[in-house]
Amino acid sequence: MDPQFTEVSQVFERFKAAFLRKDFETCNKLLSQLKVLLTKFTSLPPLFQKTPNAVHELTLARDIYEHAVVLSVKIEDQDAFERDFFQLKPYYTDARDRLPPSPQEYPILGLNLLRLLVQNRIAEFHTELELLSPSALDNPCIRHAIELEQSFMEGAYNRVLSARQSVPHETYVYFMDLLAKTVRDEIAGCSEKAYDSLSIKDAQQMMLFSSESELLQYIKEDHPEWEVKNGAVIFQKAKESTSCKEIPSLQLINQTLSYAKELERIV
Amino acid sequence: MTQDVEMKEQPAPSNSVTSTGPSVLQHLKEIASLVETGAYARETRRIIRAVRLTIALRRKLKASVVSSFLNFALGPGSEVSSYLPKDDEHDMEVDTATSATQAPIKHSVPELEMYCYLLVLIFLIDQKSYNEAKACASAGIARLKNLNRRTLDVLASRLYFYYSLSYELTGDLAEIRGNLLALHRIATLRHDELGQETLLNLLLRNYLHYNLYDQAEKLRSKAPRFEAHSNQQFCRYLFYLGKIRTIQLEYTDAKESLLQAARKAPVAALGFRVQCTKWAVIVRLLLGEIPERTVFMQKGMEKALRPYFELTNAVRIGDLELFRTVAEKFSSTFSSDRTNNLIVRLRHNVIRTGLRNISISYSRISLADVAKKLRLDSPNPIADAESIVAKAIRDGAIDATLDHTNGWMVSKETGDIYSTNEPQMAFNSRIVFCINMHNEAVKALRYPPNSHKEKESAEKRRERQQQEQELAKHIAEEDDDEF
Repeated sequence: MDPQFTEVSQVFERFKAAFLRKDFETCNKLLSQLKVLLTKFTSLPPLFQKTPNAVHELTLARDIYEHAVVLSVKIEDQDAFERDFFQLKPYYTDARDRLPPSPQEYPILGLNLLRLLVQNRIAEFHTELELLSPSALDNPCIRHAIELEQSFMEGAYNRVLSARQSVPHETYVYFMDLLAKTVRDEIAGCSEKAYDSLSIKDAQQMMLFSSESELLQYIKEDHPEWEVKNGAVIFQKAKESTSCKEIPSLQLINQTLSYAKELERIV
Repeated sequence: MTQDVEMKEQPAPSNSVTSTGPSVLQHLKEIASLVETGAYARETRRIIRAVRLTIALRRKLKASVVSSFLNFALGPGSEVSSYLPKDDEHDMEVDTATSATQAPIKHSVPELEMYCYLLVLIFLIDQKSYNEAKACASAGIARLKNLNRRTLDVLASRLYFYYSLSYELTGDLAEIRGNLLALHRIATLRHDELGQETLLNLLLRNYLHYNLYDQAEKLRSKAPRFEAHSNQQFCRYLFYLGKIRTIQLEYTDAKESLLQAARKAPVAALGFRVQCTKWAVIVRLLLGEIPERTVFMQKGMEKALRPYFELTNAVRIGDLELFRTVAEKFSSTFSSDRTNNLIVRLRHNVIRTGLRNISISYSRISLADVAKKLRLDSPNPIADAESIVAKAIRDGAIDATLDHTNGWMVSKETGDIYSTNEPQMAFNSRIVFCINMHNEAVKALRYPPNSHKEKESAEKRRERQQQEQELAKHIAEEDDDEF
């Protein structure tokens, strides 16, 4: 066996042990060590050299990055998640025909979709979605993220929140909690426009606060323009801007002048 | 003429028909001379014409004709002819024997050689011998890399196109991605704009074939842009651009690109226009517009657009149940068009349309009824309906308020639209559209490159200058007279 390969596997074993102990600090140290060691393998992306050990090396590297992604979720570091995920991705796309599929693939892809949703990067969410095969779309982990996005877009927020109970994988909980915060802000924004006023009890229920004081705190911090009076939250309607009686003269002049200029060019 | 028709019906190489051979060969020889004069006079226009004429001859090509043309153009036993299927009628051995004496005499221009590669490639693709075509294309491209002549650009771009096509037909597009990128770099360094344009499109096609929208967009946004040289390539570019933008939710821009692509495409390119229309329909639906019925009734497209027509109908009515049945009924069509994910996105629009209809018809309606009318089937329809309505209000899709204690939705009176700036804006956008259309039409007018000026010989110039001088003298004399 190649000495380099054994070295990496040994470090990885230590990493896994630390991971099980939930000793994340050691994990992080070992991980950066592993990443440096991995650069010595020529069979890994982007070189993809066909060495005799290629399959073993690729499988090991994939395993390491999969753990790295999960680790980043555990230590709640979204940037690290993004970095590790992008390093992992070529193993799923470009090395697909060289390796046996990984059981972790769909949970991690689903996790990434969820991350994009939480960060409100919907365009990237859909770009990722296009890369998945129809059979992948039926996977419960992926399905979960897709349904969340749909409910989110429609505005069926309580469906988003109830989805937390049915997470397909324990690592999803972190992002689901983040999503709950996003959803609360969305609900607050919608209520502001849709209601004239809400009783404090209803508002608390709708925005998922466990107590009245939490709601009042939230209002104070995020929406100081709301008014709390007689046991009800009164939303200050955005200034009525239905009809503008004034003629936007400057704009009109500019437009007309440009028409005249263009017409002159034609005639 | 009758012979031509016959040949179209049986494209397989049959050596029995020899009578038409000479005439096709004659045509090819004429084209070859066109290529040669184009190369000497540095007029790409002639070479474009040669390529166009070849496409017209395409169906009449035969192995025997092509090989005898190659013998004529490049001398027998040239490298290109080795890609042709062996022809029984021709005695190759005799040819190669004589070639030793003949080949050195004949040294053709590189344009002609490339043209031969192109001809053989087209022939091989038409014969469905894709593996030979792939080998031939690769050899041609390898040869092309060493040649740096602007007169070759037209032929090169066609060669790139068929190179990619032959790999696409065997399903190994991913293999040549690196090559195409290298070629694009070469073309950029050589200021070969036509080549850049073609290769960029091929790369986009390559990426989109594997749904790699992210990479495609990155390449597209970083590749150099310039005025389009070829209308066809520009149409393709617009189509790919429209697709990328659709996936990335930039619907307004996507709609513009797709409609423009469909409009600019030649009438003969029916398949392309159908594809454009399909995507454009979906994008318009996603934007909340309902395409007119005439879009689906275009000549030759009715059948292909049928699923999209029914889909539009479902969205227009705002009926979730109908939408679901249509999506299921045509799911195979949608997945082969790779629009399935987009259609999933449409569900949200169906709800919005339904909600808008409700808000127009009722001044006050209970949320339970809204849920029933929208056919929301979820464990808690009323709460769902409430938050959906709230979001629709915030996004400005409907104008209403919610009353939580009574559980109903109150629609506001629709204001007089003419008291707002809305009509002015609509008017402006239409005018701008028309003016842009006119300006683009003016820009698209083509004039032959100002060759007449260059052609002016030294003799003529002297003559002209003399005339001018005389005229100047006259004027000067007249001026003198006045004093």
